[in-house]
Amino acid sequence: MTAPREARSPLGAALGLIGAVALVLGVAPVVQALTGGATPGWPPVLMTALGWVYTAAGLVAWSRRPTNRLGLIMVVGGFTLLASNLGQTHDAVLVALAAVLATVPLAVVVHLLHAFPSGRLTTVASVAVVVTGYLVCTVLQAPLFLFAAPPGPGRLLALAARPDLVRTGEAAQTAAGCAVLLATAGTLVGRARRATPAQRRVLGPLYAYGILAVPLIPLLANLRGRLGWLTPGTVGTLQLVVLAGIPVAFAFAVLRGGFARTGEIEELGAWLGTSSGARPALAVALARALGDDSLRLMFWVAERGEYVDASGRRVELPAAGSGRAAVEVELSGRRVGAIAYDSSLIADPKDVVVAGRVVAIAIDRERLTAELLTSKEAVKNSRARIVEAGDRERRRIARNLHDGLQVRLVLLAMEAQLVAKEADASPATQGAATALRIGIDEAAAELRALVHAVMPAALVERGLSAATEDLVDRVPLPTSLELGVTDGTLPPAVEGTAYFVVAEAIANALKHAGADELAVRLALVDGCLHIEVRDDGSGGASPLAGTGLRGLADRVDTLGGRFRIHSPAGAGTRIIAELPCE
Amino acid sequence: MRVVVGEDEALLRQGLTHVLEHAGYDVVGTAADASELLRHTAERAPDLVVTDIRMPPSHTDEGLVAALEIHRTRPETAIVLLSQHVQRRYATELLGERPARIGYLLKQRIADIPTFCADLERVCAGGTVLDPEVVALMLTRARRDDRALGGLTPRQSEVLALMAEGRTNAAIARRLTITEKAVVGHASHIYEVLGLPPSEDDHRRVLAVLRHLAR
Repeated sequence: MTAPREARSPLGAALGLIGAVALVLGVAPVVQALTGGATPGWPPVLMTALGWVYTAAGLVAWSRRPTNRLGLIMVVGGFTLLASNLGQTHDAVLVALAAVLATVPLAVVVHLLHAFPSGRLTTVASVAVVVTGYLVCTVLQAPLFLFAAPPGPGRLLALAARPDLVRTGEAAQTAAGCAVLLATAGTLVGRARRATPAQRRVLGPLYAYGILAVPLIPLLANLRGRLGWLTPGTVGTLQLVVLAGIPVAFAFAVLRGGFARTGEIEELGAWLGTSSGARPALAVALARALGDDSLRLMFWVAERGEYVDASGRRVELPAAGSGRAAVEVELSGRRVGAIAYDSSLIADPKDVVVAGRVVAIAIDRERLTAELLTSKEAVKNSRARIVEAGDRERRRIARNLHDGLQVRLVLLAMEAQLVAKEADASPATQGAATALRIGIDEAAAELRALVHAVMPAALVERGLSAATEDLVDRVPLPTSLELGVTDGTLPPAVEGTAYFVVAEAIANALKHAGADELAVRLALVDGCLHIEVRDDGSGGASPLAGTGLRGLADRVDTLGGRFRIHSPAGAGTRIIAELPCE
Repeated sequence: MRVVVGEDEALLRQGLTHVLEHAGYDVVGTAADASELLRHTAERAPDLVVTDIRMPPSHTDEGLVAALEIHRTRPETAIVLLSQHVQRRYATELLGERPARIGYLLKQRIADIPTFCADLERVCAGGTVLDPEVVALMLTRARRDDRALGGLTPRQSEVLALMAEGRTNAAIARRLTITEKAVVGHASHIYEVLGLPPSEDDHRRVLAVLRHLAR
């Protein structure tokens, strides 16, 4: 039989299945009891309800604290209760099973008491007492089902009717049971004494209830004969109520956030032990262990003296009076991070401190990741600033040349021309002045080319598509141009980078590719600028070959874009860049 | 001739005014930005506007935008645009609507005062003047896409470029030191190659050539 598996929560599916089985097991005897026989109808119903309470409490504890075994123990208890209720049916095997398991639920309660809060038996003494408890409830139960009645149909286990043996057996079981309870009480008193006052407030009532409930159940049955007002019905009801309170109390104690320190630390320990692939995030594990979903981890970056979150972004410690508090986590005397939590959910910061200590190494490891992300972010930002500063500088230089030197050259050439045209100038002076003017004009032409290379006028005056068109106009080869962008809509850094990518790619194609045709394409796809420059030349271009393409790849990367070169030898070159425009 | 000058650089504005006044123009207004240029033009109704393309406050193409508006609203006003850098797109935009009384020159051309003044006169007379650098760009592009242009001889290409700059047959003949008759011969061959209809009117033929190159 396979449990229906959900990819998301195999545990949830398995627990659901267990619950379904418990439902079916519980319904059968009820139906049997209500439909036939002379036995009163309601005790089996109550037994079923009790079994369901145990199972349900166990399943809740199990699902909320998957690594804590108390839930499992409670579910086992629930099933033994449901099984012992099968005595109501008319099936001989089930009746026999029910007879054997009749007192096992009491042993389960003893087990719960010893195993609280983690669900594990931590001392040899506890293991011995719990095992003894189970033996008392099974082996010493034997005389009761073997010798209570003569063998007969439907009585599989009955050997003979020997009331004397039954009485001896009962006495032995009661004595041994008392011994188990005394040993349990001794262990628990010791534990409660070692606990902190806060823990004792929960442990005290829980332990007292458990220790009193176990003897009370058989005792109630014995008292029936002596106290006249105790009817069999009242006794049964009282027993069931006392028993039903146990799993509810334990489940509540397990789930109550912030007290069961040992249990939570074991949770965290189990988390550390799981393989890293299946391990949920550290913050989630901590939140689950401490019972505060709003819990956040902060990582200390010492060199910047600030906290960052898991993605490397700067965060502040919660302010006083904000309803949140934080506990610093240290590893070998060095601050590694802090745990911020809801101070109304977790009243005692000590729990957070202890939990932090357990996972300090893990926090330190995540801190390194966060620190790396921080510095990566810082490097990325500084590179972007360098590119922007470079572009600003280019614009400033181009502007200064435009307003300064270029104007001066026009004026100087004008003056030279005026000298040449002066009426009283000698022909030699006129010739020299004209030559001077032409020389100045040539210098101005060189300056124009320089300014164009630094920051083209078309890019400053119009934008990327005008500048690209101007670029393509100057290409001496047939060049197709596809423009899918509107000038004035893109960020300046994107326009600048895109322009220089196209310019460098065209220059490269003209210089090295020996191409006959070029194609330039600019397109805006989903907020991303696609740039493609293609030639039909010799291919074999590599981004590492020249500083030009290498620098462009860096520039594109700085803006969070992608830069690719497809240049198989002999099959042309495609230079593709994608730049996000947000 | 009444002129309004638009130029944000004070020294150049003065130099330009000086050159214009020296050449006999009456400078009725100078503007340091595009809105001032529009205002002066509207108030003083000049025959000619000479303006920079890049002007404050944005230092982009404000002068060009203002010039296109004047060109639309005052068709009788001749306009010459000056720039530190020329591009084909601006020439296409200028010639697009009504290619008459329009000039587009590099600022550096002012220094060659006689040529500059002759260019201004042609524009005022209803002609068009394009900077040789723009024409070169147009021809480069046209040659790439139009194989017929590749069939022109070097001399015919020279004639075509000078025609596109807006020069008259006489000026072309002077520049290339050939007879005007030879220029006419080259020109008719060029029209034939470009598939343009023959026309007696010099100016119209120039426009046809420009339209062909700017498309």
